[in-house]
Amino acid sequence: MIQVYKFAHLADCHLGANRDPVLEDLELAAFKKALDSCLEEKVDFIVITGDLFHANIPDMHIANEAVKKVKEVRDKNIPIYAIYGSHDYSPNETSMIDILDSAGLIKKIVKGEVTGGKLKLEFFIDPKTKAKLVGISARKVGLEKSYFEILDRTSLERESGFKIFMFHSALSELKPEYLSQMESIPVSLLPRGFDYYAGGHIHQHSELSLPDYKRIVYPGTLFAGYPRDFEESAKGVKRGFYIVSFEEKIVDVKFKEVPVCEYVYFEYDASNKNSIQARKELLEELEKIQAEKKLVVVKIKGELSGGKTSDISSTEIRSLLIEKGATYVSINRYGLTSKEYSAIKTIGGDILMIENKLFRENIGTIKITDEALKGEKGTKLAVDLLKILRQEQKLGEKKNDYIERIQKQALDVLRLQEVFT
Amino acid sequence: MSVEAARRLVQSLDIGTKEDSFGRPFLRPDYKTFPIEARNFRQIKTVNKKGRISFIDGGNQEILHAPNFSVQINRVYFNIFEDNVRKNPRNLPARIEFFSATYSDFENDDLFFKTVIYPLNEKYRVYMPDEKDLCFSSCDRTMMIGLQRADISRVASVARRFAEWKFASHIIEEELEEKNVLVVDGTLQAPYTNEPKYVERIQRFAEQKGVYFTGLSKSCELYTTTGLSLIGAIKKLAINNNLSGVWYYPVASISSIDHKAIVLIVKLHSNAERIFRFEVFSKEPDIENEIPEEAIAWLSENSRDTSFPGYPYGLIDADAFARVRNDEVERYRLILLSEISKQGKWEKFARHIQASDAHSVLNMLVGD
Amino acid sequence: MEVVGQIVSGKVGEILIRQKSGESIELGDLLVVEEGSSLLILQVFDLCYGSQIPPSARELLAGIKLEGFDAGLEFLEPELRNYVMATVKAIARVSSDRKDIKIPKILPHFFSSVRRIEKEDLAFLTKPSNPVYLGKVRSGSKIIDVDIYLNAKDTFRHHILIPATTGRGKSNLVKVMLWSVLGQGTVGALVLDPHDEYYGRHDKGLKDHPKAKDNVLYYSSNPPAGTNTLIVNLKSITPRHFQGIVTFTDPQQDAIKLYYNRFNEDWIENIVRGVDVNGVAPRTLEVLQRKFDTVLGVFLDDSGNLRCRNRVFSDSAGMTTISDIVNALENGKIVIIDTSHLSDEAELLIGSIIVNEIFHRYQAYKSVGELDTKPTVAVVLEEAPRVLSSEVLATVGDNIYSTVAREGRKFNIGLIAITQLTSLIPRPILANMNTKIILGNEMAIERRAVIDSAAQDLSEDERNIASLDKGEAIVTSIFTKFAVPIQIPLFEEYIEQTTSKEQKGKMVFVG
Repeated sequence: MIQVYKFAHLADCHLGANRDPVLEDLELAAFKKALDSCLEEKVDFIVITGDLFHANIPDMHIANEAVKKVKEVRDKNIPIYAIYGSHDYSPNETSMIDILDSAGLIKKIVKGEVTGGKLKLEFFIDPKTKAKLVGISARKVGLEKSYFEILDRTSLERESGFKIFMFHSALSELKPEYLSQMESIPVSLLPRGFDYYAGGHIHQHSELSLPDYKRIVYPGTLFAGYPRDFEESAKGVKRGFYIVSFEEKIVDVKFKEVPVCEYVYFEYDASNKNSIQARKELLEELEKIQAEKKLVVVKIKGELSGGKTSDISSTEIRSLLIEKGATYVSINRYGLTSKEYSAIKTIGGDILMIENKLFRENIGTIKITDEALKGEKGTKLAVDLLKILRQEQKLGEKKNDYIERIQKQALDVLRLQEVFT
Repeated sequence: MSVEAARRLVQSLDIGTKEDSFGRPFLRPDYKTFPIEARNFRQIKTVNKKGRISFIDGGNQEILHAPNFSVQINRVYFNIFEDNVRKNPRNLPARIEFFSATYSDFENDDLFFKTVIYPLNEKYRVYMPDEKDLCFSSCDRTMMIGLQRADISRVASVARRFAEWKFASHIIEEELEEKNVLVVDGTLQAPYTNEPKYVERIQRFAEQKGVYFTGLSKSCELYTTTGLSLIGAIKKLAINNNLSGVWYYPVASISSIDHKAIVLIVKLHSNAERIFRFEVFSKEPDIENEIPEEAIAWLSENSRDTSFPGYPYGLIDADAFARVRNDEVERYRLILLSEISKQGKWEKFARHIQASDAHSVLNMLVGD
Repeated sequence: MEVVGQIVSGKVGEILIRQKSGESIELGDLLVVEEGSSLLILQVFDLCYGSQIPPSARELLAGIKLEGFDAGLEFLEPELRNYVMATVKAIARVSSDRKDIKIPKILPHFFSSVRRIEKEDLAFLTKPSNPVYLGKVRSGSKIIDVDIYLNAKDTFRHHILIPATTGRGKSNLVKVMLWSVLGQGTVGALVLDPHDEYYGRHDKGLKDHPKAKDNVLYYSSNPPAGTNTLIVNLKSITPRHFQGIVTFTDPQQDAIKLYYNRFNEDWIENIVRGVDVNGVAPRTLEVLQRKFDTVLGVFLDDSGNLRCRNRVFSDSAGMTTISDIVNALENGKIVIIDTSHLSDEAELLIGSIIVNEIFHRYQAYKSVGELDTKPTVAVVLEEAPRVLSSEVLATVGDNIYSTVAREGRKFNIGLIAITQLTSLIPRPILANMNTKIILGNEMAIERRAVIDSAAQDLSEDERNIASLDKGEAIVTSIFTKFAVPIQIPLFEEYIEQTTSKEQKGKMVFVG
């Protein structure tokens, strides 16, 4: 009788992404619940395809909680195989992932070297199931694409057995519409004919198929790595991970939901109303919401015919909803503009897209000679640098450490590490 | 009806051109002639030596005509071929052109025609005839037609003729050497008053330098004593005797003031349809010894052009360059009329021109 | 001056030159008359025999030779009496400083000698900003070492027509052009590639350009590693995209409207799934399902899953394909779509979706005054009569390609239309195509159609066009002062000049 094995596929846990205590708790709860579920399912191993942590050196409290749970799983002889994500990546193996790997709690399965201009990867074989795992970690700003471009796919494709390819990148052919601006790689860069393509980086779960790539799976985030994730969850997107059963081939792939809270989504269009009108109407509508013990997502958009956008106070909205018993209130007002005080027009209300557009437009007006600072490349650099500079000091982090961390990450993005070390 | 008339015409023409006997060439009494007999045909033998031949021809056309004046454009041209390869002249211009104005003048109770020459390039005046030689009485017997006074246009043409002779003498003097050949278009006869002295000049230079002075006529109006055309008779004789190849037939010899030559009929190419009158200058014409066979052979070599087999290519070329085309005449006429008009003389000249141009009005009316 | 001939007669537009013996003036040759310090450039458009010898004499000699007679006859001085007459037209008068040219309005001096054109005579041909390379100037079959460039932004925007019969080098030309603009960032190009010949899957192609990595995108249903899968989500398709490409009857159009209004971007999926909608007859729905199966290859399998026969259309993947492509075009990149495995309709439909999107984006940019900051986008379309012919436009109606042909210029979008059958394209569209790069064409009717719509007077160039060899072309454009004869380089040879060996540093792998 052929043994049927199981593995769990998680990704984008983004532990440490949310600084708010309530959210932090929910984040950890989701992670713990997921691992508990893995234990219940008696999986043979767990695969985590990147961004387990939101930073390569996460908050120590978060790290501690995470390690406890991981140890619990490990103690039950369930190996956890991981790769770096774009957030918990480290170029010199100083990530939390490396610490867990050194401690034997997690196994980083990425191994290979560049010879003759080709990247030759080595399979890692799970001792129990003999499943062959191989993959490429993420790097900052999607730089892993250059690894994919030199990947020796032929040798990987020739390998027999049950094969899993782990990666943390968006695939151009499978990106959702709202992530059209995201860096991605074409699926043709992946080796063909694997049994399972374990993806990470995309926060919505999906199970897709393309010719020669039968199963490409993104588990999505367990809770939320970005504010947008709340919006999606509030609109009904399920959060969880995948349980995959296999013998010589895949038998079953099922999504396991990991709910940790309830959501309410509220959208308000302030178009053609003045700020006084809009504020009044908005507050009236919000009064009607059943917010108790729920995570409320409020999206305000539209162009006010008069008044300032600041006339609609986020604080006021938040207070109202908290008073109504909301666990947490997330407000997205990037789509709210005012005719009287219009800044640069943008398409789309997502902050990432807006920043992208602003940088792109402004880069065009400056005379630059360095190719790396021009056009798309320059825009990307600016966006990534801003992301880093935007990071706040962590709880318990000393000021000097904070400065050093920011500096280091900034130099990383600018690829000037060697210049300044 | 016209067919019937044509049939009868052809029949009577046939009777009138009986080729039963050929007789002798019919020329002036001072020509020594020979019976037209097959034994007189001589084959032209090929020669190995290269020949140098110069061909000369002239052309003229009337630009303006009135009974009392005639304006002509005149042209004389020559070329040189050595072994059928064209050679550039050493010194002389290849072509000279001049206007000539012949006008009537009444003096000593007689009407005279006088010609004045205007070379298009003053440098070429040295090649022009003397204007004194171009003054003729309208009753000059060499110019008259029957009992009629000489036609002014005909007299005007003489200038070109004399210019050809003059130019030819310069060609021999400056461009040719011993055993080279000069071929003029036409005969070596100089029938007009004052003309012989020009031909004598050529004869003198030809003799001095040992140059063959010859002439080839495109057409020949000579007769036989049996009333046939001389050319037709010789040709018939050749056919009767299955004569093939290239040949010459001596016809007559003459040594007079206006003509010193041996006259021959030549067939210059075996495929030629036409035979031509050919003359060679000889002071003491002696058919047995004076016929320059190598000159005829060279001429035959030059007569291989497919456009006109049997006619020297050099003369085809000379004719093309010497000829004055009608469109050129128009151009010159315009220039002249413009000048007349500028000088305010049109009315005056028109009075005389209109004396004889009614036919052109009629032509215009019928669209000619 | 090395004289090759002399002007002997003629009139404006038909000057006759006698060729010097020993020379070989060719059809299309560029000759020069020096007039003081300025030049007159002439172009040969006809050659004939001239002879001082009457035809009968010539025929006779030919007959004598052919029939083996040795009549001892020949043509004396044949080089003088038999010659070639070239009929030429004056195409440009070049100023003494060689910087300025004008259309000639007077005849050259009578009896002028002519010589062949030299490189220095063409000093007025300068390289513009945003250059697109076409080839070298050609005189007859000889190549003059003078490069011909046009301003890419302007030329593409004003549309280009490339008329030629098969095998004359149309794709080679377009590859050379695209290679020369690659990486400039001022023009983008969408290439619908029905023969998969532009990317260079097996041979040399645009992928070999040093800047290809960041500036060339390739979409194929069978993509080589590193290139994109051609997969378009059904949600990207709106009813407007079918306009002029696929014919629907009135009931079908009404049905489509109803489905679109009800289901928006999921309209096709719902039709394929057979979801009933009030007001749509079951028969009409069935026909629509069959139509989508034929055109898109989309159908419902036995398990109720939506599948696609040509693997190009999907209900789950390819959400961002169209926007990725359009973004790339908007950033001045070249996007090649391998349509070699697609039906005509599917190919045109995909093109229609992309072009519709870019057209509307550019319309929006124009309305807010941002159009000038955007690169010009060119759409390379093979067998253009499929969408531009009079018949198609009359029966199926206008489509996005004909819209671009008529209005694209205003919005910085142009067509590069390739065709064997110019005569099928209506005159108003042809008249809008302000650059025509004419390659060889055997068909007289096609040559005439091109000549009649050219930017310069090519009425005498029919013979020139008929004699164009592979790689030879004539560029007639509102951006050239005269119709320039060119030799287009072979793509593989052309790229040798610009391909550089990339110095790759040793990559360190970190995982």
